[in-house]
Amino acid sequence: MAELTRPGLSVVLCGASPDALDALVPPGHGARTCRTAPDEALSVCPAEVAADVARELEDRVAALDDDAVVLDVSDGWTAWRLTGPDSRDAFAYASRLALPDEGFVQGSVAHVAAKVVVEADALTVLVPAYWHDHVRERLIHDARVTEAIP
Amino acid sequence: MATIDFEGTQVPFEDGDTIASALYRHGVRTFNRSLKYHRRRGLYCGTGDCPNCMVSVDGEPGARSCVTEARDGQVVERGTGWPSPDRDLIGITDKLHWAMPVGFYYKAFVKPRFAWETAERIIRRATGIGRLPLDATPAVKRARSAHTDVLVIGAGPAGLEAARAAAAAGADVIVAEEREVGWTFPPGRELDALRRLADQVRALPNVELREGHTAIGVYEGPTVPLVAEDALVEVEAGRVIVATGAVEAHGVFPGNDLPGVWLGRGAALMAARHGLGIGDRIVVAAETEEGLMHAATLRAAGSQVILLAPTALAERALAGVQVLRDARVLEATGSKHVTGVIVETPEGRKRIVCHALVLSLGWAPRDALLRMGEDLPVEGVGDVVAPVGDPPLGDGGYVCLCEDVGVHELEIAWAEGWTSSEILKRYTTATMGPCQGALCGLHLAAFAAARTDQVAVKGRRTTARPPVRGPRLEDLAGGVHEVIERRTSLHDRHVALGARMDRSGAWMRPGTYGDVAEEIRAVRERVGTMDVGTLGKFLVAGRDAQTLLDRVFPTRLHDLAPGRARYLIALDEGGYVMDDGLICALRDGRYYVTSTSGGADRMEAGLRNWADRWDLHVHLVNQTAELGAINVAGPGARELLGRLSDDDLSRAAIPYPGHAEIMVAGVACRAIAVGFVGELSYELHHPRSRGPELWDALLGAGADLGVAPHGLDALDVLRLEKGHFFLAQDTLPDDHPAKLGLGWAVDMDKPWFVGKASLERMAEIPLERRLVGLRFDGEPQRGMPLEAAGQIVGRVTSCARSEALGAAIGLGWLRARNGGWPTTLRAGATTATVVDRPFYDPEGVRLRG
Repeated sequence: MAELTRPGLSVVLCGASPDALDALVPPGHGARTCRTAPDEALSVCPAEVAADVARELEDRVAALDDDAVVLDVSDGWTAWRLTGPDSRDAFAYASRLALPDEGFVQGSVAHVAAKVVVEADALTVLVPAYWHDHVRERLIHDARVTEAIP
Repeated sequence: MATIDFEGTQVPFEDGDTIASALYRHGVRTFNRSLKYHRRRGLYCGTGDCPNCMVSVDGEPGARSCVTEARDGQVVERGTGWPSPDRDLIGITDKLHWAMPVGFYYKAFVKPRFAWETAERIIRRATGIGRLPLDATPAVKRARSAHTDVLVIGAGPAGLEAARAAAAAGADVIVAEEREVGWTFPPGRELDALRRLADQVRALPNVELREGHTAIGVYEGPTVPLVAEDALVEVEAGRVIVATGAVEAHGVFPGNDLPGVWLGRGAALMAARHGLGIGDRIVVAAETEEGLMHAATLRAAGSQVILLAPTALAERALAGVQVLRDARVLEATGSKHVTGVIVETPEGRKRIVCHALVLSLGWAPRDALLRMGEDLPVEGVGDVVAPVGDPPLGDGGYVCLCEDVGVHELEIAWAEGWTSSEILKRYTTATMGPCQGALCGLHLAAFAAARTDQVAVKGRRTTARPPVRGPRLEDLAGGVHEVIERRTSLHDRHVALGARMDRSGAWMRPGTYGDVAEEIRAVRERVGTMDVGTLGKFLVAGRDAQTLLDRVFPTRLHDLAPGRARYLIALDEGGYVMDDGLICALRDGRYYVTSTSGGADRMEAGLRNWADRWDLHVHLVNQTAELGAINVAGPGARELLGRLSDDDLSRAAIPYPGHAEIMVAGVACRAIAVGFVGELSYELHHPRSRGPELWDALLGAGADLGVAPHGLDALDVLRLEKGHFFLAQDTLPDDHPAKLGLGWAVDMDKPWFVGKASLERMAEIPLERRLVGLRFDGEPQRGMPLEAAGQIVGRVTSCARSEALGAAIGLGWLRARNGGWPTTLRAGATTATVVDRPFYDPEGVRLRG
């Protein structure tokens, strides 16, 4: 059994030099910071702490790179969360990505570019917001997950 | 009792029956007619390797009945032969070999020219293995992925032992088995031992044994697709072990395709598993140990067995089996079924009367998957890599049962000059049928090897390619979804308003809300709104942002002050126009760049590419998904926004072209003053999540102003009236700015930009073609050729009737003629006059507001 929900998540982008990002201490507040490119990191966090995460990122990265950029880009992403004992099995019907026990991977999900935050008991799939409907439909149809109605 | 419907007859079946065993019990001996000569074909391999038993099941042709479980209510038909496979009038072709030599369709029906068209229709009707159910509902199979350290293909003894060894070494293992474990084994001790081994392997924590999973290919990775009942499983493995075993070698001699000639395992399975004797008197030709077991199995089933075997084997034959030492089969005889075998013995030729001939002459490894993975971490274990001797290839008979290619056909082809296994295959189609050379591949290679000394050709197998084991089209299409729609945040609003949603590149966009003319009038006379959230949108920041943009684009940038915007074209190194958009100067040295909807991905890739090449410190943020955009245009645009905003909307605050950060209906917007439709316009770029409320507010607040949304159809006319082109519709891949009349958008005084060197060179060449504005005296059509003095000099790329202008207008390509530009042209029945652009409001008074 796997259940699909839309968590209230925010995404804060940090663009900085690779050296700066290598040295950056990720923000707290429950954010998961994923290195999506040598010069880019995304911090995924609960929406209510997005401002705190952005502020913390700005403070920390400014000391490492005075030309860095920190932006709340939450509107550009749709987050889908898969939970339940069969969530990894369900995910395999939507993507060929190999999932670590915990961490972050990026690649194709439902044939579109995605970021996947992997936790022990859940998967959070982030896709550009214009694919919101497409990914939802594919997860329900192909992965046969049950959508939880909030 | 459960039955299958066999061509109108209810045929009962027993538990464990396959379709083939049920039909065989019912008395069916001719299961098929061969592809070309319509020869009778009966059960042969019994293990799903040959084409002989293929039938249509529930309307779907190509099912191998020997391995397809019988189920109640199945409708089974033989798809070949006319009027029936039992009495097939097309069987006359078997007497006409002389008229249809190998490759005859390459040589015959050449003249007259219509001959082949007719012949092809007849040939297609007369051949094939059944009719595809073209009216069936297409099925879409799911696909799933799996990852493992080791994938073992085949759950026979070798595969299971390999899996156990890999698991013991700590690897995660998937074992894929085509059917249930032991399905090719007749009941007995060997099968029991195999099942015990399977249970032990299945109990290992790091082994997953998947029955009913057929591997159909090996691809880069290695990745192996497995066809299962409910899904296509794509396995990415660190290592692949092929343990697909071997099929008994196909015997080639005259009469080898007669019903009643069996490969040993097929005969033994029929007798031991299904309790069906295949004849009272059976000749078993054995050159393997397993052949002795088959002889024993058949004898135990009650048949009289005559064993042909080398002396070494013959000595171990069971008592009670009649043995002919060192005898070999020369020919099988009979018309509808085997009635006898001619054998050669040390004492001379003999004819043995019999009801069946069973062959166990050696092995043909099922090694197609192994050969596909030659350069990958793919290895074989067990019979698939066991050494095999020369295949049994006699002086006559059929080599390729699928394609009806006999030894004689191969000899003709060789004599014609097709002298390697690869080109023999292409010319004769041997190995190209449903079994893909599983039975005859070795024979083809051996045939070539016996006739040449060329090292490159001698004994070479043809290339193995996926798929193997005949998957359905729905298997191959598993997980594929052709349509991936990008939707703006306003998609549901458009649908609710009754818009016709069109596919525009990757996006779904409203074409019209019902009345295109009214949508145009709203923009020209009142105020219109359009969802332009599909535009590419990029934030370019970092200390080198201006340097990057200045080098990439031909646009003048150094004097672009914050709050101002400028039209932008993107060129490639050849100076050709790739895309266009806007560039807005923000504060703090940042820029906001837009591109066309279809060009966003390419724009991002281009900017990142150049930033990397020049090692610039730039942060490029693609905001296409993050930001929506609504264009509010028309003489009432400012009044409408004024009702929803306290910000200054005057031209002083938002110059043309320029932009400002304003609040509209409580939504933070970047308002960009643009002029694509030729009216006072504000593109409101806003957070995507706020799009619906902004849209509702605009339509609500402007109701008394006559605000109306418009779609792409109206935009097509509005932009045309302003003389603007649509990239790709009105342009060609080799358009440099001058051809499009865009010289004004290029700052040739800049020291460098992408494409500048090419533009300088092309500037020395006279313009041979340019995009022009056209006014028609009739109703032209897009794509019409433009003619001058009877010669085609261009074509219409866009056209429409403009209500605002009271005329049909368009854009079109025009070639220079005799050093000048024609001004009066013919477009079909209409006259086209070349006119200056824009057609509408040429002074730009309206859009400046």
